[in-house]
Amino acid sequence: MRKLLFSLLFSAVILTGYSQGTSQDSAWIRENYYKIEKYIPMRDGVKLFTSIYIPKDTTEKHPILMTRTPYSCAPYGADKWKNFYTSYLRYYLREGYIMVTQDVRGRWMSEGQFVDVRPFDKDKKSNTEIDEASDTYDAIDWLVKNLPANNGRVGVFGISYPGFYSTMAAASGHPALKAVSPQAPVTDWFMGDDFHHNGAFYQMDGWAFYSSFGKPRPAPTTVGPSNFEYSTKDNYKWYLETGALKNILKLTGDSIAFWKELYQHPNLDAWWKARNARVAMYDVKPAMLVVGGLFDAEDCYGAWNLFKAIRSQSPSTNSHLVMGPWFHGQWASLDGTHLGNVQFGSNTSFWYENNIEIPFFDYYLKGKGTDPSLPTATIFFSGENKWHKFQQWPPAEKQDQPIYLQPNGGLSWEAPAKSNNTNPFTEYISDPAHPVPYTEDVHFHRTREYMTDDQRFASRRPDVLSFQTPVLQEDLTLAGPVIADLKVSLSSTDADFVVKLIDVFPDDFTYNPSKEAPATGRGREIQAGYPMGGYQMLVHGEIMRGRFRESFEKPTAFQPGKVETVKFAVPDVAHTFKKGHRLMIQIQSSWFPLVDRNPQKFVDIYTADDSDFIKETIKVYHDSEHPSKIILPVLK
Amino acid sequence: MKPYQSSCRAVFCLVFLLPLLSSAQDRRQPDNFVKENFDKQEVYIPMRDGKRLYTVIYTPKDHDHPYPFLMERTPYSAGPYGDTLYRRSLGPNKDLLHEKYIFVYQDVRGRYMSEGEFQEMTPHKEGKKTKQETDESSDTWDTVDWLLKNIKNNNGRVGLWGISYPGFYASASLPDAHPAIKAVSPQAPVTDEFIGDDANHNGAFFLLDNFDFDNFFDVPRPAPVKSYGHNIFRADMKGDAYQFFLNLGPLKNTNNPEYFNNQGKIWNEYLGNSTYDDYWKARNIRTHLKNIRPAILVVGGWFDAEDMFGSLRTYAAIEHQSPKNDNHILMGPWTHGAWGGATWNKFGPLDFGQNVNDHYHDIETRFFNFYLKDKDTLSLPEATVFETGTNQWKTYSTWPPAEARPLEFFLKPNGKLSTEGKTALTRHPKDSLKEGFYDEYVSDPANPVPYIDGSHAGRDNQYIITDQRFAAKRADVLVYASDFLTEDLTVTGRLKADIFMSSSGTDADLVVKLIDVLPGNEEGITVTKETAGYQRLVRAEVFRCKFRNSFEEPEPLIPGRVTEVAFDLNEIAHTFKKGHRLMVQIQSSWFPLVDRNPQTFVNIPTCTEADFQKANIRIYHDGGHLSKITLPVLQ
Repeated sequence: MRKLLFSLLFSAVILTGYSQGTSQDSAWIRENYYKIEKYIPMRDGVKLFTSIYIPKDTTEKHPILMTRTPYSCAPYGADKWKNFYTSYLRYYLREGYIMVTQDVRGRWMSEGQFVDVRPFDKDKKSNTEIDEASDTYDAIDWLVKNLPANNGRVGVFGISYPGFYSTMAAASGHPALKAVSPQAPVTDWFMGDDFHHNGAFYQMDGWAFYSSFGKPRPAPTTVGPSNFEYSTKDNYKWYLETGALKNILKLTGDSIAFWKELYQHPNLDAWWKARNARVAMYDVKPAMLVVGGLFDAEDCYGAWNLFKAIRSQSPSTNSHLVMGPWFHGQWASLDGTHLGNVQFGSNTSFWYENNIEIPFFDYYLKGKGTDPSLPTATIFFSGENKWHKFQQWPPAEKQDQPIYLQPNGGLSWEAPAKSNNTNPFTEYISDPAHPVPYTEDVHFHRTREYMTDDQRFASRRPDVLSFQTPVLQEDLTLAGPVIADLKVSLSSTDADFVVKLIDVFPDDFTYNPSKEAPATGRGREIQAGYPMGGYQMLVHGEIMRGRFRESFEKPTAFQPGKVETVKFAVPDVAHTFKKGHRLMIQIQSSWFPLVDRNPQKFVDIYTADDSDFIKETIKVYHDSEHPSKIILPVLK
Repeated sequence: MKPYQSSCRAVFCLVFLLPLLSSAQDRRQPDNFVKENFDKQEVYIPMRDGKRLYTVIYTPKDHDHPYPFLMERTPYSAGPYGDTLYRRSLGPNKDLLHEKYIFVYQDVRGRYMSEGEFQEMTPHKEGKKTKQETDESSDTWDTVDWLLKNIKNNNGRVGLWGISYPGFYASASLPDAHPAIKAVSPQAPVTDEFIGDDANHNGAFFLLDNFDFDNFFDVPRPAPVKSYGHNIFRADMKGDAYQFFLNLGPLKNTNNPEYFNNQGKIWNEYLGNSTYDDYWKARNIRTHLKNIRPAILVVGGWFDAEDMFGSLRTYAAIEHQSPKNDNHILMGPWTHGAWGGATWNKFGPLDFGQNVNDHYHDIETRFFNFYLKDKDTLSLPEATVFETGTNQWKTYSTWPPAEARPLEFFLKPNGKLSTEGKTALTRHPKDSLKEGFYDEYVSDPANPVPYIDGSHAGRDNQYIITDQRFAAKRADVLVYASDFLTEDLTVTGRLKADIFMSSSGTDADLVVKLIDVLPGNEEGITVTKETAGYQRLVRAEVFRCKFRNSFEEPEPLIPGRVTEVAFDLNEIAHTFKKGHRLMVQIQSSWFPLVDRNPQTFVNIPTCTEADFQKANIRIYHDGGHLSKITLPVLQ
């Protein structure tokens, strides 16, 4: 979704590593393709700017592979070409795909008005009622009717925000559309993607993105918006000093419409529900391949949950899911060997590209190969570092098993004994003036690596509770969503709860450099010498804004001192805690500046004053009357 | 030379054996230079009580002139032993190697190949009456006497040097020194291990260093040996000393079977003497630095995590107790012993813009040449110090400079630090304590404040200069920052912390940190992360509050009662530049550098896990309780 993605992914990741031979590939593409730019008319007369790379070869007909994007189909000009040859996408060119990129309505060179995550309208009545599905329909219709030597089959794919447009493409119902791959698709900006998780505001990603992306574009342009100038490159400092959310709004005034608008929707209201892409996923016609990263900091939720929505709402659709050990978009990069300090033992991106995505489009768009008969879910298990295939997700064999918090930092499969009642809770003070950092070091851009970072820095804080099992005597594999079911009491009226599922490595753990850090990646250069013994690997964390514990639509205040239940889902995990490791749960009430601070008072957070932010004491219970537990999806 | 960091083992082996290793690292030196230019002999020199000390003597092959002796007495081995093995280099620096001294290395009594019984920091005995009464002064005397009489071609003069523990032996030679000893350079000398060196600072136990050092140093030696073999136990902290020591629990667990198991004599002495009692006082050599005759050059490092105190206070003791002595101090931007190597341009993010060791080695060489060989000129100032912040050598006629004026910085509400002492918040005696008069934090021994960010197998030397932003993010660290400085502020001398505190418990530690907050990129500092707001640690010290009135007789805190805790922090020579800010941080743990205070008034080495309690610590800044830090400022 983020602009950051755009710059990082397409410049840094894909461009690296292939400096040799690029000119050759570049020359090959130039010799065998030509580029045209077209304004494609939509049903309401608005024209969308589209850049099209077409094979010169006319001995056979070619399929069309399209990405619709708010991030520009740059470079503009028929003589300026995208660098396909630096990424795996060059494969599609070798195979003669017609490559299409379209600026979505209202962005860059396209006409019309941009609407963020434009709501899907399933009952469009006239040609003036449009949405992204109808725009995709019209684009496809024009392409198959106008491009020379096309074979009448179209595929759509896209990562992040373009993943959202892929979802909407799937909802277009155009008969030529045979295969769609929404990848890290923006799906639900209130429940789990990008802007919010369980109603807690991901201010840093949101602001980094929209302070630039959200700027108005009065007329078609090839020039992108400027970036916001920060006073410091220490993001913790910037957000802490900027303070309450209303102060961020003041920095833009009315200039960023969506930013202002979302402040008016603190709860899960009709406005947000209309922007949940899942509402479009009924009667989906094309074959679907949903792709996502286990460690995607942006749209991990979207990948898991879009897939689940398709399975439940459109069960006869030929739909598939691939989840690998990736940061946002890493599957389209050259290096899927590691993320941060954690190694995956093979180049998982390369494997995915060549064994999943390319065969998928080849089969449905070119009739090449045999039916890939993909399993429903192809999932990489970190920890074990292996791919597994399942006929459904979560796997049928998965069994939910609660593990209970215990006094003195214990974690046990046994429910708390009555003897725990002498030590019924563990407490901490959550101080909005000293929020728990989401990662250890001073830095500016939200890191991708925080998703697998060592959490030892957090364990050392008194405002982070850690509960861990004894050393595991056998492997423990989790496959599916993790449910946190906490019994808590507050000294005030609201709080956030961050639950982190952590794999504690053995004290003598080291990676075998030849095995787990293959030389194909850059893994061995990164963080060389990081002490992995005792590493507390974040497997997944999730935040819940306590006020929404009963309803996301109607928040309720906590009653100070009263023990209440806060129950929420951590997005699905696929991880093996190896024998000799420990499973740890950390609980904290801030995750800064990733997530905005909860004032810890039941006030509207978007209009709260700095003075509304107060310390509070939080008790997490683990007695027999109030057993806090984490429900784990155990795969035997 | 690389900074000494990485593992604990490296810290101690490298640092304490530095004279050995640093010379070996001088790659400009041909491997066989020593062998080609010196004759080596190994002798047992008899002491007055009949015990014999193993001594290795390297004599110049060139016999044209008589030469002085330059000697290091060490507990870390005078080796290599045997006719065929030579040291790769000799003497305290590469220049002196070429100056033709008779270099002498001696195993101190009870270590390695020497006979006798080793004692930790051998207590000095005043007025020794019999030949059976020995100490390091007498052992040095007897050695010098023997050398003068038995080694041919000597010029009758002796110099001594030593870094760290050997620095102690240099200091310990001084009381009643043999008249042939003309020049002595105690360098980072271990001096007072209860108040400020190695084992304790202000009574707070330096767990991380002690645990690892004694494991290596405290191996029993029933008879002379060339090697001590393995350590007492294997304690692999893997990547994370913090977790290791947290898991270890109370200090007494260090004697569990898998650790010291009561095999460490010194370890048990440390644990058995948890106040400033006769054991520690007997080991404070400062008391005896009176009527010192040899010329003295005390050397130390501003970033020495072990014996900075010893350097500064050895100089001060000689200065005060032997006012006529030809006494000098030299302090540079060094970690423990880093002055011994060939080069020292950088430390962590700091770049000094020069090889500071060149200047120092020139001074050190002239010092010994002048007093021992009547060679070179010497106009050695009283104090030669490297000023951090500006990266300049400065000289002073007194140390600390008498011209420095105290400037008080007061802790203020809302995290301010100001020279303005008066406050609107003056508490009437009848007022109850109100918020605004103090800042408060919960100090939780289960989650002590790390002494450095990241995870480390042992002590990372850079903790002494590194960015404190990681600490400022914690609610159990109080932060007070001045306005941006409108002009340079040069602070040269000892710092005083005067803190009014209370605790809900009966004991507490206070750690006071003085920090230079950078406004942005700056020459001489290279960090990859945002420099604006970088919190460069300039000086820090810990104080165990039970000792606030007496190190001999600890007293409990009275819960809730405002208590003044005043203590000194080691000298600095640092310019806080215009546009920077001064910052003070206060916290109650510094782990695992320092052991956790249980926060209940107990004998810490014998207490149990149950004695460790959370405490609410309050730091006051109301009119009646102006907590402050006093800086000696040069105009």
